[in-house]
Amino acid sequence: MPGRQLLMNFPVTATSHTLADYRARGGYATLKRVLKTMKPEDVTKEVTASGLLGHGGAAFPVGRKWAVIKLNDGQPHFLCCNADEGEPGTFKDRWILENAPHLLLESMLIASYALQVRNAFVYMRGEFDLPNRRLQAAIEEAYDAGYFGASIPGTDFICDIFLYRGAGSYVCGEASGLLTSIEGKKGYPRNRPPRLTVRGLYQKPTVVNNVETLANITGIIRDGAEAFRKVGLPKSPGTQLVSISGHVVRPGVYEVEHGYPLMKLLNEDCGGMLGGRALKALIPGGISTKVLTGADCAELTYDHATFDKAGSSLGSGGMIAIADGTCMVRLLQVMLRFWHHESCGQCTPCREGMGWMHRIIDRIVAGQGRMEDIERLVAISDANDGTTICGMGDAAGYATVGFIAKFRDEFEYFIQHKRSRCGGVLEVARPAEVAHA
Amino acid sequence: MPEFFINRQPVHAEPGQTVMQAALAAGHYIPYFCWHPNLSVAGNCRICIVEVEDSKGGTWMDIACNMPVDEGMRVLTDSEGVTKRRKEILQMILLNHPVDCGICDKAGECSLQDYHYEYNGERPVSFDPKVQATKFHPLSERIVLDNERCILCSRCVRFTNEVSGTHSLGIQHRGDHSLIRASEDGAFGSDPYSDNVIDICPVGALLSRNFLYKSRVWYLKATPSICPGCERGCNVDIWHRRSEWKLNALDPRQNASIDRVTPRENPAVNGPWICNKGRDLAAIFERPRAERAMLKGTPVELPLAIDAARALIASARRPVALVSSWASNEELAAFKSTLANRFACFVKSDWTPQPGERVEDDVLIKPDKNPNAKAARALFGAAPIAFPDGTDLVLVWGEGFSFTQLPRGASVIYLNSYLQPENGHADVFLPLSIQTERRGRYTNFEGTVSNFEPCFGKKATVADAEPLFAALATHEAIA
Repeated sequence: MPGRQLLMNFPVTATSHTLADYRARGGYATLKRVLKTMKPEDVTKEVTASGLLGHGGAAFPVGRKWAVIKLNDGQPHFLCCNADEGEPGTFKDRWILENAPHLLLESMLIASYALQVRNAFVYMRGEFDLPNRRLQAAIEEAYDAGYFGASIPGTDFICDIFLYRGAGSYVCGEASGLLTSIEGKKGYPRNRPPRLTVRGLYQKPTVVNNVETLANITGIIRDGAEAFRKVGLPKSPGTQLVSISGHVVRPGVYEVEHGYPLMKLLNEDCGGMLGGRALKALIPGGISTKVLTGADCAELTYDHATFDKAGSSLGSGGMIAIADGTCMVRLLQVMLRFWHHESCGQCTPCREGMGWMHRIIDRIVAGQGRMEDIERLVAISDANDGTTICGMGDAAGYATVGFIAKFRDEFEYFIQHKRSRCGGVLEVARPAEVAHA
Repeated sequence: MPEFFINRQPVHAEPGQTVMQAALAAGHYIPYFCWHPNLSVAGNCRICIVEVEDSKGGTWMDIACNMPVDEGMRVLTDSEGVTKRRKEILQMILLNHPVDCGICDKAGECSLQDYHYEYNGERPVSFDPKVQATKFHPLSERIVLDNERCILCSRCVRFTNEVSGTHSLGIQHRGDHSLIRASEDGAFGSDPYSDNVIDICPVGALLSRNFLYKSRVWYLKATPSICPGCERGCNVDIWHRRSEWKLNALDPRQNASIDRVTPRENPAVNGPWICNKGRDLAAIFERPRAERAMLKGTPVELPLAIDAARALIASARRPVALVSSWASNEELAAFKSTLANRFACFVKSDWTPQPGERVEDDVLIKPDKNPNAKAARALFGAAPIAFPDGTDLVLVWGEGFSFTQLPRGASVIYLNSYLQPENGHADVFLPLSIQTERRGRYTNFEGTVSNFEPCFGKKATVADAEPLFAALATHEAIA
């Protein structure tokens, strides 16, 4: 395993997700201690001291987000767990929801206590089936055990939790779109200001945190911020659940300690590239992060600082490894089709720009591209930069610009020769498939 | 009051104002599609993007409609960066817009058209086919929607959510395939304010079926007027063909007809809205007109009828007058100063709610369906109509009074504008001009006075009420 483990630190069995097993691992003891010995502001202080960064993609310091919530201000606060894991390539929250739902629930209770939340929400991705059943069962167990819905003995803290299933829209994973969707409206993201921590769900102060971010809270409070900071690097403390897909031998979810060498992760933990091919490109954290070439990756360690320096970011931890021989033009076509399909259509640059870019790349792949199309794609991306309501337009633009900057020759080749330099290949056969053939 | 800077000029803002509000109030224009002063901020068109200089010498950009004013903030509305962004956004908006201005009713008063000339002015840069969408989608019996022209500003959706309260419009699908659609329960069809969405549509997507392809707007003149539909007295513009664009080839009625009615903004009365009844003033004013004076149903010249009326008034012992609540303040005052002392006067309700009409709500519509009842009652009292014993003459001014209620044996002088069966039963019938043919004022239920101007000329055989009363009271000939 790549480094120390904070979340995947127990053996997954047929019953490891249940309340009984979770309690046997020491579950809900932290909650009881927090309720009896800590004040809400102490919890927030501890989280701030831990330096925990959000795991949803933007890496915003969790303590800073929480500190905006004013305690005892006479209005209700809300906590929303963002389980709408929709960033292509990302499936790490699913592991927590399936295997450690009680860890999430305990963390949400601790966070609710810290933020004086009476009603907490989980916004679950609509396509999730097992995670939904597991979390629903865990919520029922927790209600039966008296953690939710009634005051926990010896304290006056009561919290209720609502599991809300989305309908599969990508933008509902954006924090404000998620809240709008919970409110029963079309999942349109909202303009800032006001920030969600000032006016969020039902116009009340709201904290929206990713599943993995929240799941870390219990450990931080249990072992203390100091212990948490000892894992990882000073500027990127802790670990990241990385969901690796693409052309590696052993794709899956890995918990990676910040600072772990990237190529070691790919070559040793994941078993290297399929068929022994070279790493052509790497999408490090969901398709919204800028693509890296194999050469870029050689010296990288897995943490925020080095990835930022390399011109990309860790994003949501949805890593896609791309082997030599893959057509980057067709890959960008797949990505732009996704963004076109998922643009909510609220604001002009993204609504029109995504469709436009998709039509251009479709035309290039159909062999009807023109050289000026490359500049047009860059220009449309630029027009989306900072002009949209949410980050989706920017992200799609960054990714497109990244593809063109790193693999411009492939785009030019495709337009000139009306065909892919790599035969339009996206798939690399797995050894088992080779054996079948 | 925070002070900030727009294009380096100091601007005062009210507390809580956005940059857009403060800039427009101070005379700095920022373009907008989705923003509307009377609706919530949606911030989706992005055309109002402005640049803000921060204290470190850098700049950032955001939309002015959602930007709270900060003390000392330095906003640029026409910097190079802003100009570039506006251009890009206009190109995006035009990307799937059909640009069929030549056949679009909105042409001439379209924000997109204006901004294109002002801020973009370039040929399209895309050669990919445009997204196709529904044309002539019937949103209701009154409104058709052209989804290709729609720029999804969501003003109409917010209008039904926030003003009319029917929540009857929404956006289906997403991305560049989003479509404005009405809810399936038909609530939009029964929304009495639905036609306002035609005015607030910044492009020609929402179209009035009444006005569809009827005229180019630049052939029309907007004359200020007042909706007589209820005691709210909404200020309206009546649009009719400009005299310089009169076409002999057209039916003469088309040269003198009401082409459309739009609200004239007056925050003290109706804000920027009117109800659908106000849109249909043609249904009131273009009913068949009574154009000839009559004596017991026999057409006569006007002076002859006035002489007959004068004689009836002079010989009456107990005359009663039923005063019109559709008369202007000036006409009421003229009646008061000339004839009122000869009569026992009662205010008559000319119009009552029609079957199916909304009687009252908390937006605009008021229960009294007469525009000037308040002023009439102020002059002539609010007593219900009662004929004293021995009433031998009744002067009925305006419509809405059934002659079956007349006291037995009384003579009748009837002043009316429209062709109605009662006209022929009156001893003397005098045809009157209507609101669109004269100028005057109405006092609404809150006491706010608004004025209306003439749109069309009146026929010589028809009398204006003011000189008519003067002629009846004296022996002067009618002017």
